Amino acid sequence: MEKDGDLMQGTLDMLVLKALARGAKHGYGVAEWIHDSSNDVLHVEEGALYPALHRLELKGLLAAEWGTSENNRRAKYYSLTAVGRKKLAEETEYWRRMSGAIARVMQTA
Amino acid sequence: MSYWMRVKALFKRKQLDHDLEEELAFHLAMREAKNRERGQGRDEARYAARRQFGNVMRIKEACREAWSFVSLETTWRDLRYGARALARNPGFTAVAVLATALGIGVNTGIFSVMNGVALKLLPVPSAQQIVSVDQIFHGNVRRNVEGEPGLFSYTEYKNYQANNHVFSGLLAYAPFLEATLGGEDPKQLMGAETSCNFFDLLGERPALGRVFVEEDCRAPEASAVVVLSEDLWRTRFGADRLIVGKSVSLNRAKFLVIGVAAAGFHGLDPWPSAFWAPVTMQKALEPQRDVLAEDNTGWLAMLGRMRPGASLEEVRADLGVIAGRIDQQHPGRATTLVIHRATFMGRPEERSIAFGVGAVVLAAVGLVLLIACANVANLLLARASARQKEIAIRLSIGGSRWRIARQLLTESLLVAFLGGTLGSLLAFWSLEGIARYVLTHLPHGAPELIWNVSPDLHVWAYSMALTALTGIVFGLAPALHATRQDLSTAAKGEGVGLMRKAAGGGMLRNTLVGMQVAVCMVLLIGAGLLMRGLYYAQTADPGFEMKGITQARFDLPSQGYNLEKARAFQRDLMARVAALPGVDEVEQARVTPLGHQWEGTGLTLAGETQERGFEFNVVTPGFFAMLGMPIVRGRTFTESETRSDAPVLVVTESTARRLWPGQEAIGKTLRNDEKTQCPVVGVVRDSQASHLGKTDGLFFYTPAGPAAQDRLQLLVHSKGGDAATANGIREAARALDADLIVDVTKLEDNLEAWRTPSRIVAALSGVLGALALLLASIGVHGVVSYGVSQRIREVGIRMALGADGRDVMKLVLRQALRPVVIGAIVGVIGCAAVSQVLSNILYGMGSHDPVAFVGVPLFLLGIAFLASYIPARRAVRVDPVVALRYE
Repeated sequence: MEKDGDLMQGTLDMLVLKALARGAKHGYGVAEWIHDSSNDVLHVEEGALYPALHRLELKGLLAAEWGTSENNRRAKYYSLTAVGRKKLAEETEYWRRMSGAIARVMQTA
Repeated sequence: MSYWMRVKALFKRKQLDHDLEEELAFHLAMREAKNRERGQGRDEARYAARRQFGNVMRIKEACREAWSFVSLETTWRDLRYGARALARNPGFTAVAVLATALGIGVNTGIFSVMNGVALKLLPVPSAQQIVSVDQIFHGNVRRNVEGEPGLFSYTEYKNYQANNHVFSGLLAYAPFLEATLGGEDPKQLMGAETSCNFFDLLGERPALGRVFVEEDCRAPEASAVVVLSEDLWRTRFGADRLIVGKSVSLNRAKFLVIGVAAAGFHGLDPWPSAFWAPVTMQKALEPQRDVLAEDNTGWLAMLGRMRPGASLEEVRADLGVIAGRIDQQHPGRATTLVIHRATFMGRPEERSIAFGVGAVVLAAVGLVLLIACANVANLLLARASARQKEIAIRLSIGGSRWRIARQLLTESLLVAFLGGTLGSLLAFWSLEGIARYVLTHLPHGAPELIWNVSPDLHVWAYSMALTALTGIVFGLAPALHATRQDLSTAAKGEGVGLMRKAAGGGMLRNTLVGMQVAVCMVLLIGAGLLMRGLYYAQTADPGFEMKGITQARFDLPSQGYNLEKARAFQRDLMARVAALPGVDEVEQARVTPLGHQWEGTGLTLAGETQERGFEFNVVTPGFFAMLGMPIVRGRTFTESETRSDAPVLVVTESTARRLWPGQEAIGKTLRNDEKTQCPVVGVVRDSQASHLGKTDGLFFYTPAGPAAQDRLQLLVHSKGGDAATANGIREAARALDADLIVDVTKLEDNLEAWRTPSRIVAALSGVLGALALLLASIGVHGVVSYGVSQRIREVGIRMALGADGRDVMKLVLRQALRPVVIGAIVGVIGCAAVSQVLSNILYGMGSHDPVAFVGVPLFLLGIAFLASYIPARRAVRVDPVVALRYE
């Protein structure tokens, strides 16, 4: 099961929030966005996305609404709530600090 | 918010399921379309989409869990499933529940006894505010003790009461007061002298009349008033509502009844008080002593009610300061205060006994529970292997291992809960009966006891915690083991037979059996050693004659007798008793042999400065002959020595040996308190006159002369019927003093008082041992026979290949018996350690008892042999073709 590009749960939540930062998307859209913007490095097991979406919705970080997709099917669209936006900002800041710190550590000879 | 959404979700389950279905279908369709765009074929595209998506079932499950009260709903589902599984298998369920019930029942029972004896708070309002205060002295201590060493003097009490800043009130009472209630039929009562805030501080209101007020304690002997217990009022005064204002006689002093305590209030000790009198009336109640004025005599127990907001730490610090100030008046002495929430049996000595005994017993019943757990775990293991197929299928269609293990655990918790509830109920129900039985069968002369073993919150919490722990302990290993299996073989129904031998299940099962055998051995051998030790102690020859001897016990000083009056009484009583038909000998003694009374003093050896502690008795010259204690050297006291209260001694043989090894003891002297040299005139053979089962330590006798007459009791030897003699003695005493309580019994009855505690311990350890043996036998039999029957196929193959039946049999037996043998060896080693510990705690126990050490392992081996022999023989005789098809 373990291979490069697997995601920890907390990281996945953060990516989902980021994916929705520019507007509402359905689940498939979120998966595609993560794929594309990571240049196909991050393999999200696509199914695993859905429990994460539902969890975030329950926590009130996301709002969900049924709409019509680009190919005219009924689809569930997710968007950030105010709380979600705040959470994303926090996570981004935290991630920036952490990754910077880890990078520095790894560069030390 | 999320909580509310979940609640809503509960009612929209169908809608949510439908939405989820549609959402996931949409995703798969989009992915499939994308894959087609990339040029994949239709089928290929769909499969690829599914592959990328992962296990749809599991993901749906995960999404649903996010929406539901997962734990609640899953637990409920698991419970229903578990209940169904248990109901389908009534045999298994019955055995498992019963084993658990036995294990938990015994534990709960013992705990509720301990709880009732030593953990429950006092039965008074806001009992959590009440703390008990005791003291322990260190260093150079010279102090008179009445009762227990941790008690306080009246001045000390007054000091603490006046100077503390942490109590809203501090009370004191004398816990060991006995008094004779006068009347037509005088009765000996336990009571208490109390400070006058006693009832108010405890929050106890009287059922009738009033309780003490400060005025009652203003000055010594100022206010002769008494509060009666409701019990006494009912049984003795016919619940006379006009009792208040009447007088009663206590130790021949008149006391005015001012009130009757509330029903159910029996004071603050396990022995119930029948009356309470102001502490200032001490001298009137006990004319033989005057402790109120003594600064350095401990006789009062202290309890305080903490001010609201005060903590135990503050109490300790505050009272510690006062203790330090008191210590300054006693150079070289340091006092430590022991302060905790007040319970019955709260004083340090009582506590250490209660907790010491309790720890040993709890450890023993804990071991019984462990055996029961191992039994149930083994049953679950066997069952899990029967359900291998079901579990394998669930695992292979995507059930997570944790989920299935959790379901199995729920099942075992259900078993534990059923067993625990059953066991606890049985324990509570039977305990009331057992407690009543024990309390009504206490030996003659033992104090009446209040023993409230009814369950409270503590007991329920304990039993619930134990139940949960038990369920996890016996369920965890089987659950983890059952879910860690090779899917392909299990699903096909293989993996039984040849392969099982090496599989982990066999290993786990064998370990459990070995452990069971070892634990059971420890318990049984412990119980065996204990019982044999007690048997030895009980049947031991005390070293003196008891047959035909009647004892008459009475206490003259407390009834206001001075020496003069006592001499006259004793002289007249002895004359009357000697004239009774059949009576051929009358002797006097300060304490009667094995009478649970002990006298101690210090004597100094010539040439030494340090005192040595002696036990002693004061007896008339004929005492030794009457009790058949031969004088081995020298002589008994002469009449003239007795008449003149001469300071001469008869010592026991072992005393002579210890003090003057290899020398003639006759003529040696010992110095007493008054600097008098006391010559040894005789040496009497050793006996167990003060403790049964234990030869007396340093022990001497002095003559019972005129100066000793106030504190002597009678021993009467008669040829006639004991009952007639006893009645004659009672009549004689009544004729002289109708208000004096004279306790007349056979001397042999003293043995009962020694044997009863041993009997209770022996019965308890016997029951525990039997229980352990029963559980372990069931366990060993079940597992060994199951293990062998699992190998019938293998045996068939071996036989088909031409193996010799006897060899196969030997192989099967050897493998089945191995864990039992290993367990037995571990058990014997464990026992050696345990018996060392036990023999330190319990007197009279040999630590190496061959019957227990050899008998128990042989018995268990026999059971294992039978359990494996019968199925093995069946296997060897069976037609190989049938055996091969056997499942």
